[in-house]
Amino acid sequence: MKLETLNELKEKSLITNDQFEKIELIISRKVFSVFYELRTLLYLGVMLFTTGVGFLIYQNIGQLGHILAIIALSVLSIGCFAYCLLKGKKYSKDKVESPNPYFDYVLLLGCLLFVSVFGYLQFQFNFLEKYAQATSLITAALFFFCAYRFDHLGVLSLAITAFVSFFGIVVSWNDLSSFDDLQNVGLVISVVLGVIAVGIERLGIKKHFTFTYLNFCSLIFFCSALAGIFDSYRSGYIPYLLALYAGVGVCVYLANWKKSFMFLLYAVVAGYIGLTYFLAETANWDIVGWLFYLILSCGGFIYFIVSFRNYFKRKE
Amino acid sequence: MKFAYHETGLNNLWLVKDAKQWMVSGLISKDQFTSIASQYPSTLYHPNFIIRILLFVASAIVLGAITGLLLLMVMRVDESALSVLSVIYGLISLAFLDQIFIRSKHHYKSGITEALLYHSILFIAMGFVDTLEYRPALYSILFFILFAFASYRYIDLISTAGALCAFAFLAFYILYQAGGVMQQIIPIVFIILFTSLYFFFKRFRQKKETEAWESCLIVAESVCLLFIYAAGNYFVVRELSIELMNLDLQDGQDIPLAFVFYGLTVLIPVLYLYFGIKRKDIVLIRVSLAVIAFSVFTFKYYFSLGHPEITLTISGLILLVVSVSLLRWLKTPKYGYTRENILNEKWANSNAQAFIVSQTLGATKAPEVHSYGGGASGGGGAGSTF
Repeated sequence: MKLETLNELKEKSLITNDQFEKIELIISRKVFSVFYELRTLLYLGVMLFTTGVGFLIYQNIGQLGHILAIIALSVLSIGCFAYCLLKGKKYSKDKVESPNPYFDYVLLLGCLLFVSVFGYLQFQFNFLEKYAQATSLITAALFFFCAYRFDHLGVLSLAITAFVSFFGIVVSWNDLSSFDDLQNVGLVISVVLGVIAVGIERLGIKKHFTFTYLNFCSLIFFCSALAGIFDSYRSGYIPYLLALYAGVGVCVYLANWKKSFMFLLYAVVAGYIGLTYFLAETANWDIVGWLFYLILSCGGFIYFIVSFRNYFKRKE
Repeated sequence: MKFAYHETGLNNLWLVKDAKQWMVSGLISKDQFTSIASQYPSTLYHPNFIIRILLFVASAIVLGAITGLLLLMVMRVDESALSVLSVIYGLISLAFLDQIFIRSKHHYKSGITEALLYHSILFIAMGFVDTLEYRPALYSILFFILFAFASYRYIDLISTAGALCAFAFLAFYILYQAGGVMQQIIPIVFIILFTSLYFFFKRFRQKKETEAWESCLIVAESVCLLFIYAAGNYFVVRELSIELMNLDLQDGQDIPLAFVFYGLTVLIPVLYLYFGIKRKDIVLIRVSLAVIAFSVFTFKYYFSLGHPEITLTISGLILLVVSVSLLRWLKTPKYGYTRENILNEKWANSNAQAFIVSQTLGATKAPEVHSYGGGASGGGGAGSTF
């Protein structure tokens, strides 16, 4: 924006003199924020450091330097947690602002280092030999605790991924094949987790966490349902298709409730894939029929979105 | 001829967008925002990002299906007529975009407009495949014209980048075909060419008349900076020399003037960062951070000690130390720099960040724990690419 426009706003007294001065400082770059740049650097630092350490830990196993490194990392991890406990504000049911800009990243670093060290110890000493999967449950428990105690959405999402990986589900764009044998588990888990999340919100605890829960739940649910539909070895895809459409309904409701178009996106894409698969199985169209189907369905969708544009505006 | 959109509507749209950012950042009150929004009405249809993606994908499917139907009709036509038809088809879709969606329906970057625009560029360009197939220089000129037109008339960012890339290809191709010394001076020509272009765009952006194209000019600046850097980067120059100029390097040999390119690989990012900080130029600062990372990669690629894990750990540590000390140092604003978030970026909301955390850190880490645990965990853990 140019200064002239801002002047115009002031002259029409749409903004006060005070506000004009503040905004003028920003537009003329007399005040210049490097908030996002510094946070990106911090985040990259945490990512590179923990990835490097993750590799490092499994090399030169058994040497003295290696043991020292493990001890150092454990100390560092504990140090991070201690720092968070000392510096962090008191627990509250509502949103808590972090005390300083790097607090969140210290917590993230502590959590990721914990995963590395804990995974290594488990690998080396096999102390949970019979209950190998329990490691991800323990990790999830710690992460859930940290997320709620220090109000950290990133750690919460790590906790959720650790929790579902206990059941063998990997939430990642790179690897959707992991749903192949787990569609039923995925469907149940996502519903249960979603219900729990909504229940927690009803209790008034950390309401801003619900979105992250529901985001994961919808993704897992739709991936599981679609995996079920495409898996032709199974007896029938109809139950999965019905489940998918139940999910679509819930997701449209969520989009309305949470004022988020993300859920609408999931619902539309999943519903469309389901419909197209159903037609491919039942209808016996030639190429022209399919082309008309694509034109009419997508064209109809566009028409719907554009004509109800006011409904799809972001509510303030 | 100016941009295709309704001018007042566009200005008002941007003004209200800015005002909304002020409201979200707590600079003005909600009531003030509402009165600004009612004072500056806009009829333009510019949905939010997710709806845009949905509309883009849906429009692309519709256009693809229409193309399929038309193709079935003209299958028996011979090839030269097909070229003409393709150009006509492209022009018709451009007219649709311009007259129907933009002029009468007031769409502004709605997802549908982008789909139609790229669709028509694609088919106009395809019409010339037969005639220009063996003349890359002319073909890149055609692409340059199409993209430049699109970024001028429709203020499209991807087209801006496309136009500059077509231009860069043209310059490269001409020098490359000339052979001999001309091939050797490609990096120098590129640096001079894109530096002057950079300053041209920068000066252009200060003018009042170019306000509408500001985002395009920012993209153009960034692309120029990247080309300048790439032309001086040791990795790019060396690999392209080997690949395209049949430079045969023996052990212990190096490309001509290697030290110059080593120097530029270090110097250019440092210059970007220095001037970015000095001039408070966010484009320079962001580009410099990206190219610094690529410079580090360049040096590691040729002088690797074979321990990527140590490099990762140490560079992570350096980043952590640097960013934490900068944050501490900026506790009180210095030289006009502040660590506080004065304007909320809408793409940086905390829900999105949480998802990024889980995708970059979580999915690879958590399963790793249990795949090392004993393999009894079914299909889940072991598949990740850690």
